[in-house]
Amino acid sequence: MSENTDCTRRDFLKLAGTAAAVAAVAATVPGMVGEAQAAELDLVTKRQTGVYAADANPKLYKARKSQENPMVQKLYAKDGFLHDGPTGHKAHLLLHTHYFDRSAGVKALKAKGIKLKA
Amino acid sequence: MQDMEKVMMKGSAPKNIDPTKFSFVQVDAAKCQACGTCDDVCKTGAIQAVGKDEKRKVLDPAACVNCGQCLVNCPYGAIYEEISFVDEVFKALKDPNTVVVSMPAPAVRYALGEAFGLPAGTHVGGKMHAALRKLGFKLVWDNEFTADVTIMEEGTELLNRVKKPSHGAPLPQFTSCCPGWVKFVEAFYPELIPNLSSAKSPIGMLGALAKTYGAKQTKTDPAKMFTVSIMPCIAKKYEGLRPELAASGYRDTDVTITTRELAYMIKKAGIDFKSLKDEAADPILGEATGAATIFATSGGVMEAALRLAYEVLSGDKLKDVDLKGVRAHEGIKTASVDVPKFGKVNVAVASGLDNAKKLCDEVKAGKSPHHFIEIMTCPGGCVNGGGQILNPSVLVGDSGCRKVFAEINKRLAMKAQA
Ligand code: SF4
Ligand code: SF4
Repeated sequence: MSENTDCTRRDFLKLAGTAAAVAAVAATVPGMVGEAQAAELDLVTKRQTGVYAADANPKLYKARKSQENPMVQKLYAKDGFLHDGPTGHKAHLLLHTHYFDRSAGVKALKAKGIKLKA
Repeated sequence: MQDMEKVMMKGSAPKNIDPTKFSFVQVDAAKCQACGTCDDVCKTGAIQAVGKDEKRKVLDPAACVNCGQCLVNCPYGAIYEEISFVDEVFKALKDPNTVVVSMPAPAVRYALGEAFGLPAGTHVGGKMHAALRKLGFKLVWDNEFTADVTIMEEGTELLNRVKKPSHGAPLPQFTSCCPGWVKFVEAFYPELIPNLSSAKSPIGMLGALAKTYGAKQTKTDPAKMFTVSIMPCIAKKYEGLRPELAASGYRDTDVTITTRELAYMIKKAGIDFKSLKDEAADPILGEATGAATIFATSGGVMEAALRLAYEVLSGDKLKDVDLKGVRAHEGIKTASVDVPKFGKVNVAVASGLDNAKKLCDEVKAGKSPHHFIEIMTCPGGCVNGGGQILNPSVLVGDSGCRKVFAEINKRLAMKAQA
């Protein structure tokens, strides 16, 4: 068997894409990326289908609304750990947070002439 | 460097690292073929060609949101992860004085099976719980529980904003469970920080509840607890290290590992995953609903939140919970949901930061018609996260043709330079 025969079409496109990029045959490059991303989406679709099937399967999940989760109800019950309810005082201390302006680093990069996409 | 499920992992995190100054992924110049796939999938522009040979590099952590999309899409396996906490987890599991707590995210269970030859999308939640017990986790808690809690907190917050929007809590409200997206807002759209829900992500909540409520309920000393966040995501490693996430009085999340690292651990421990019997999580912080598991996909948080908001706003029971109008395979999806006694609730769902950017610009311009916007960094949501089992068709195999083309490349490169 020659070395070439175990090339799949995908291998070929990707590797040809690499070669083409170097050789500046730009037309093959989007083709290569498109192929890679199409394969990716097949996998994502399969996983997403699994997610919605599980949501609708009472053997896996008895309830389908968060407010109907018995352990959630226990957590927020009148005598429960978070008795002042969602967004209450204790919930705020434990379950809410704050964010920070981190734009300085990005601005510094742009000031150096580095092009970013956002 | 260690190979874990086809991704190279550099090693443990240095003590007290500042996650903002740290690159969670980087390119191995020796393996990079300069094909440019990574800078196509990177929507911030953090990964770019450098030097004459145009090999790629994550230029600066300031511009990178740690999503790992570059890594999972690299055909040559040239991008590695800087840190792995697997050694720490194995060490904690061996220590009789440490109570190791598991906190797996919804999306993990839809990809983990692939590492053991099961078809993509198989729900392996029950086997995963069994495997965690076999590995020695003492408390098998589950992040799906706090996905439900997130709906209660973030949903209630939304209802408060709808009733009385304010300068500090304006509309639209953005989801805050995706750490790639949160860092994107902080770095690229700081003026939209008030629009981000103040609710922590499900894992932020579970870490804090584990060492307070969970410790009390199970009579465990929180100082002896070691909480392991198990994620489809590399950005969650960054989130776990945020200094402010210590509401329990301890580090809420001690360490974060990915789906790939969990698969690696299960194999290393010699556990026959496929033959495991399904087990449930420990109920206190483990029981969950279908609304929680759909957090794994783009549109899921929105659908789960609407299942609550509809009932609160209308006072009626929602009979058909399948809100297919917000299920988003990819890209942007908008919907207007009719809620009796309230009116229209306008929502948008987007995955991919290029799509997020469009919605951000709309909000910035004051032109957004939406009440609530869900954003996930990874196209399709966390099922396609940067920490998931690799898509076998992305990697170019080590087949003979690779060598052939490598040769051609070299010759072409020489010609191009000549
Ligand atoms: S991790 Fe995400 S943001 Fe960072 S370089 Fe890779 S694709 Fe870009
Ligand atoms: S979409 Fe999910 S996997 Fe991707 S960065 Fe966000 S939380 Fe992580």
